[in-house]
Amino acid sequence: MANAKASVEVTAKTVEEAIAKGLEQLGVPREEVEIEVLNPGRSGMFGLGAQDASVRLTHIVASKPEQPLEEITEQMAPEAEEIPAQPQPAAWPVETVELAVGLLQGLIDRMGIKGKVVARISDEFADEEGASTLVLNVTGKDLGILIGRQAETLQALQYIVRLMLSKSLARWEPVVVDVESYRVRRRRALQRLALRMAERAVSTRRRVILEAMPASERRIVHLALRDHPGVTTRSIGERDHRKVTIIPK
Amino acid sequence: MSTMKELIEYMAKSLVNNPDAVVVHEVEKAGTVTYRLSVAPDDMGRIIGKQGRVVNAMRILLRVAATKDGRRATLEIV
Repeated sequence: MANAKASVEVTAKTVEEAIAKGLEQLGVPREEVEIEVLNPGRSGMFGLGAQDASVRLTHIVASKPEQPLEEITEQMAPEAEEIPAQPQPAAWPVETVELAVGLLQGLIDRMGIKGKVVARISDEFADEEGASTLVLNVTGKDLGILIGRQAETLQALQYIVRLMLSKSLARWEPVVVDVESYRVRRRRALQRLALRMAERAVSTRRRVILEAMPASERRIVHLALRDHPGVTTRSIGERDHRKVTIIPK
Repeated sequence: MSTMKELIEYMAKSLVNNPDAVVVHEVEKAGTVTYRLSVAPDDMGRIIGKQGRVVNAMRILLRVAATKDGRRATLEIV
């Protein structure tokens, strides 16, 4: 990947094709780009009135992903070590943290994945899960398989860990399961995208439609723009195709 | 290859009220391994979940294990 371009605009028959072409041009995985739908395109009838779809893809992770990831991991490690020495509010006793780490580690070991679970107590997911959340981050090499398309695998992993932990504790515990800090990075990227697209909606006086996202990601966009003076947001479309629309006020 | 079976047992036993009743059978046919999971009758709901959410999450994780193993695997509740 010699000097990948930071951003490309691609036109194709459908949005999906355009995205696929763009990812190929950039040579990066889908998780690492922001996707803006410039024109959703139209299939037309018998080729009449058909319009190509166009998208802009912006690479959001530096071209050497290894480096920043290690930095993030190092920043987390000391925090995790502090947990036993400096107990957090009663909600997260050491035994609970150890139980949660053990359950997730047990899962990934049996999945044949070489990774290590690092725990931290954090308030960065406060708007999603409430004040201080237990975050279990899996670190290691080539863990993309644990994230999956549209983070489907990561969501499944989190769901099973939450169920297993809640069963052991006999109460619901919404721990956050992350892989290589994907959620943290994706979240920041979505917040930046939301703000940029809001500016565009305001300056062009036209609504901006983002690509289809899972509910958890749409929520991040809605929350990022909740107090924005110039726009409102709404999700449109059905199930897997739901998209956030940013509407100028 | 036994890890996939272990993975299913591990998940299932942690989710049910009667872990001793969890049984996983492994059947290999035409390159695909089928795992048949059975649990105590009153644990069926816990293992399937609303609209199959639990068993579907287990299937997704099983798929990762199978991919790592270079094989295909399916999970059925019996």
